[in-house]
Amino acid sequence: MKFSEIKKLMIDSLGNNPEYGESVRKLEEAGISYDFSEGFAGRVLNKIFSADVVVAKQIELSRYLNLAFSRIAITGVAAIVMLLISIFLMEGDLSFNSIIGISDSQTESIVCLLSGN
Amino acid sequence: MINESFNATDEIALVRAALDGNKNAFGEIVERYRKMVARTVKGMLGDSVYTEDIGQEVFIKLYNSLSDFRGDSKLSTYIQRIAVNLTLNEIKRRKRFFSMFSQTGNHEMYEFDVPDHETHEKRDARELVEKALQALDSKFRVIVTMRMLQGYSTKETAEILDLPLGTVLSRLSRAQVQLKDILKKL
Repeated sequence: MKFSEIKKLMIDSLGNNPEYGESVRKLEEAGISYDFSEGFAGRVLNKIFSADVVVAKQIELSRYLNLAFSRIAITGVAAIVMLLISIFLMEGDLSFNSIIGISDSQTESIVCLLSGN
Repeated sequence: MINESFNATDEIALVRAALDGNKNAFGEIVERYRKMVARTVKGMLGDSVYTEDIGQEVFIKLYNSLSDFRGDSKLSTYIQRIAVNLTLNEIKRRKRFFSMFSQTGNHEMYEFDVPDHETHEKRDARELVEKALQALDSKFRVIVTMRMLQGYSTKETAEILDLPLGTVLSRLSRAQVQLKDILKKL
């Protein structure tokens, strides 16, 4: 096929006419076709199925990490709740001062304590 | 190598079998759609020696996301979307790479990987098409590849690229103008 014909087919294939499919077919006949090299499917399958073992191990590790994290998080939340309950029972409220342990101290006594006078 | 062929004609059955770990079923999917992927990847990137890696990546990504395929669209459309996205990413990566080393920028790395059995005439025809495609803007190149090499209608192209129909029509018309200019110089 001549270059001018191929060029025309290329332009025609982009047109809005219902015959564009015919241009595509003719271009393929002129050698405008693509494929991967021989054994492509085999190489893809080898990559996928040999990688499966590694991926399975990664999934297993992330599952263990998630489990460990959730256990640590639950224990931490439980400890915080118990601490707040004990503060409430001892101090009678949950103000900032009672949490940091200075609820029954007067401002003057703290100043004395810090300045040493 | 695929030792035995898989006979399922139904795409959903093939996908289910592949999800169940049937290697031959996935091999059948690769065999069925490899030319389609080659047309997209090689059409957009040029027939470079690196395009096979992109092709392999398309099918690996397909395998990893096969459980997300619900059969709402055709399997070919689903694969085509993966191929287009990976190829566009590769085009961006190459542009970034070349912009680091070149002030003029618009070079793309491609070598012709010519099959031995091809005649001179066919080789020249392919080179002409590839040169023209590589000279197009990438947003036009993807539309032209879908239309000229895959033979998709405007509606199918819009569905694959997730673009409004009007945008595809306007890009097709602008691509046609740009392609005419490019072909005049070749």
